[in-house]
Amino acid sequence: MSDRTIQDRIIFHDALGVMEVDWSDWTFTTEAEVNEFYDEIDRKAVATGKRWYFLVNYVGCVISPAIWPRFAERGKYANITYGLGTVRIGASAATRDAIRQRAKGEMFRANIFESRDQAMLALGEMRKRREVLGGIPSGDTAEVYLRVEDIHLNFGGVKALTGVGFEVNRGEVSSIIGPNGAGKSSMLNVISGFYRPSRGRIIFEGRDRTHLPTHAVARLGFARTFQNIALFKGMTTLDNIMTGRSWKMKGNVLTDALYWGYAQKEEIKHREHVERIIDFLEIEAIRKTQVGRLPYGLQKRVELARALAMEPKVLLLDEPMAGMNVEEKEDMVRFILDVNEQWGTTIVLIEHDMGVVMDISNYVVVLDHGAMIAEGTPDEIRADPVVIRAYLGQG
Amino acid sequence: MTFFFEVLIGGLLAGVMYSLVALGFVLIYKASGVFNFAQGAMVFFAALTFVSIVERGVNFWLAIAITLAAMVVLAFAIERVVLRFLVNQPQITLFMATIGLAYFIEGLAQGLWGAQVHAIELGIQDVPFKLAGINISQFDLFASGTAAVLVAVLALFFSYTRTGRALRAVADDHQAALSIGIPLERIWVIVWAVAGFVALVAGLLWGARTGVQFALTFTALKALPVLILGGFESIPGAIVGGLIIGATEKLAEVYIGSSLGLNIGTGIENWFPYALAMVFLLIRPEGLFGEKRIERV
Amino acid sequence: MIYREAGQFKTTYAKDQAIFPIRQDRYAMAAILTIAFFIVPFSVSDYWFNAILIPFLILALAALGLNILTGYTGQLSLGTAGFMAVGAFAAFNFMLRVPGMPLLVAFILAGLTAALVGIAFGLPSLRIKGFYLAVATLAAQFFIEWVLIKFGWFSNYNSSGVITAQPMIILGYEFITPRSKYLLTLAIVAVMALAAKNMARSETGRVWMAVRDMDIAAEVIGINILKAKLLAFAVSSFYCGVAGALWAYAYLGSVEPSAFTLDRSFQILFMIIIGGVGTVLGSFLGAAFIVLLPILLNVGAHYIPGVPRDLLSNLELIVFGGLIIFFLAVEPHGLARLWQIGKEKLRLWPFPH
Repeated sequence: MSDRTIQDRIIFHDALGVMEVDWSDWTFTTEAEVNEFYDEIDRKAVATGKRWYFLVNYVGCVISPAIWPRFAERGKYANITYGLGTVRIGASAATRDAIRQRAKGEMFRANIFESRDQAMLALGEMRKRREVLGGIPSGDTAEVYLRVEDIHLNFGGVKALTGVGFEVNRGEVSSIIGPNGAGKSSMLNVISGFYRPSRGRIIFEGRDRTHLPTHAVARLGFARTFQNIALFKGMTTLDNIMTGRSWKMKGNVLTDALYWGYAQKEEIKHREHVERIIDFLEIEAIRKTQVGRLPYGLQKRVELARALAMEPKVLLLDEPMAGMNVEEKEDMVRFILDVNEQWGTTIVLIEHDMGVVMDISNYVVVLDHGAMIAEGTPDEIRADPVVIRAYLGQG
Repeated sequence: MTFFFEVLIGGLLAGVMYSLVALGFVLIYKASGVFNFAQGAMVFFAALTFVSIVERGVNFWLAIAITLAAMVVLAFAIERVVLRFLVNQPQITLFMATIGLAYFIEGLAQGLWGAQVHAIELGIQDVPFKLAGINISQFDLFASGTAAVLVAVLALFFSYTRTGRALRAVADDHQAALSIGIPLERIWVIVWAVAGFVALVAGLLWGARTGVQFALTFTALKALPVLILGGFESIPGAIVGGLIIGATEKLAEVYIGSSLGLNIGTGIENWFPYALAMVFLLIRPEGLFGEKRIERV
Repeated sequence: MIYREAGQFKTTYAKDQAIFPIRQDRYAMAAILTIAFFIVPFSVSDYWFNAILIPFLILALAALGLNILTGYTGQLSLGTAGFMAVGAFAAFNFMLRVPGMPLLVAFILAGLTAALVGIAFGLPSLRIKGFYLAVATLAAQFFIEWVLIKFGWFSNYNSSGVITAQPMIILGYEFITPRSKYLLTLAIVAVMALAAKNMARSETGRVWMAVRDMDIAAEVIGINILKAKLLAFAVSSFYCGVAGALWAYAYLGSVEPSAFTLDRSFQILFMIIIGGVGTVLGSFLGAAFIVLLPILLNVGAHYIPGVPRDLLSNLELIVFGGLIIFFLAVEPHGLARLWQIGKEKLRLWPFPH
């Protein structure tokens, strides 16, 4: 035991809204010790009357396995009562595994980082997201936003997905990575409602949405782009993006046949919205061009525009940067980040470019041969030997 | 009960005739992925050419040879003028082009040989004979026999010869076939010529049965339900489909017609095959012998 | 030089979305309408009305209907004439059995009846696509023909098989002269063409085109494909139904099934292929082409001595068939596209680029 008291180890950073709990070099051997520490944390936190982000320092911390359940339980209570999200630093291998196990079972994020700086950075992002989304907490205490549970998918004998499950938090950028044929696109297709999983569930905003038809899923707030561009080749850019407004447009065939009056007003109203997206993605010049004539990179951007026109809650992007040169990629990344930061859109991304994935993702899921082999923050994934082996073969 | 069997067998044998026409479709579809709406017109053209030559005093077998040559020339012309320009178009465009082709061939046939009705004499008496108390038409039996031989020959051709294999490759993927060195144009000429030969056989039999007249072109339409039932790419499917359509058509004509209290039952056979085809499309779109297609996104 | 857009700026979205955004186009359309409504009626012979203009207008309307289904929504249909027949017979029966039925209401009801039949035969489109669907429409064609002939109720148990259409009377005025029939037809077709253009450029049209171009992507956007397809069948059949009623009342003067056979379906299909699939202009161009071509061939044959009569009547078939193949191979978007290309060149003329 160090010479610092429990009091010293609970630090409030008011300006940042962060409560730092310093368990470095601390040892927990009995339940009484756990309770003592947590009682103090509870007392102090409740006294402030506010909710806090937790920054927990595990460097050199030892927790004996017997009291782990109690430890976790108290932690959970703390999160639910006065927490906004937790980041953890420097857990030992054993602790890390224990936390991860727990995280899986109880559906919260482990959020384990190597250094304090990284942890603080993540916290900062969490806070920004919360501001954009208007006060909805993210992280440990979030309501389940999008959960994929034990998905199995078969194509007449071919097992495309076996037991894949993960959670997507609101307002985050999550990436699905994996070697070719791992089942990434299939996973996205299951989420979109194209494929019905043979087993498993999709939970969105707390409700089971597994068996909805594709267009109903779209109307719930899901938009997506495709690997091989699914634009309407016979229409102009403008018309393509306008189709994204379809589910919001009011009127019927009779008002349309009349046009002047109701239909025209609707057209103009939605046209204005679409023009804003066109400005945002900088594609004004090709507004009236038939999309079939556009170069590949621009077509991808138009597809993104169409998805954005739907004002989606969740944006599913299937290799949005495939086939692009460096500048185009940078533009695309910028757009994606803008969408995420300005509008708080939750993003699920399939991407092969590791640089991009590590840079912009909050969470990464790794698939291989239809199964999930790892999940975690980019740092955790980067260091995970299982992932390295899957991508690079042995060694 | 005897009546039922007579209708049934009559229908089956009529179905064989449909199968003959359907065969031509299957050949072309199998080898080029094109649904040839002009097959009926080709039947008409072949029959009309043959009969017109024979009526000018040419020997039967020589006339067949000449007509066959004409069909080969037609195949060449089609490949050169139509198919070459439409290679990569979607299936539906090719289908519409064959509709245009059908009109063209019909106009050509009648323009060359006139629009009168002709009769074909094949030397087979259409005298029914009795088998187990049921009347069976001798002619129909002969037609079935011919069809059976033709089918056997074609099936062997496709499965066991080099050309047959090449034809199947082409049907699957034009580009891929080209890339392994299959001469696309030559294959297509071969296929359309073979289809022309099948059309000739069908034309002779149909012509002998109902006379060579413009209505012969409508046999193309009857083949559609046959193909839907049997699968577009299957030779046995064309036979089985033809039999089913022929039988059910006649049975529907007789039995449904009378149950609806209509004194003149004719006409049901015009649409019944299509209704049956539609049911199949909803339950088993690839037909009895066809291959299922899975659409991947 | 004349066809320049220079100086014409669209300052509102409304102006940008107008049917004729370019001023010259607006003038041209105004001129065409003026000529059609005010000059033609007083300057052409009865023959022209009866043999050329009226059938042209009605067939253009039917072509519009088919274009909505096949051109915009991509569902190939070979049953156009069947839906026209439904319209013709429905109009006849409404006028016959409902006392005091106004003419235009009868036409609208005829269209609605055809629309219902269209929806019924469009239901398979949910499961089957492409040219399998064409087979289902063939079924529609044959079935409708059979029903209308076999069940005497539809033709009021008329034994001769040819029913005389009732006279066309609106508010006491009887449309009996070719000129009056022409004007009535023109008015109806013009209104419906405008409605079609409006539908095409608004959300309805976009949804249809989305279903045509890639229905999977349309689903992902939230479009209910089945509803869109059924709507296309309904609207298309409505147009064909009204066209059928007009054909019986304004053109033939009688209601007979033989006017609505499979040949007619093909004829209208040819019109949209040649004229241009997926365009309103194309429907008119195609109809004009097909109506005028036999006449031109006839006239032309008189100048070429020694052409056998047989060949002449078959020449139509040959030319039509050949043209279909030609257009599909060379310009699949038909005359309308050629027209568009011509306009583009005109914008630059006399400069090369």
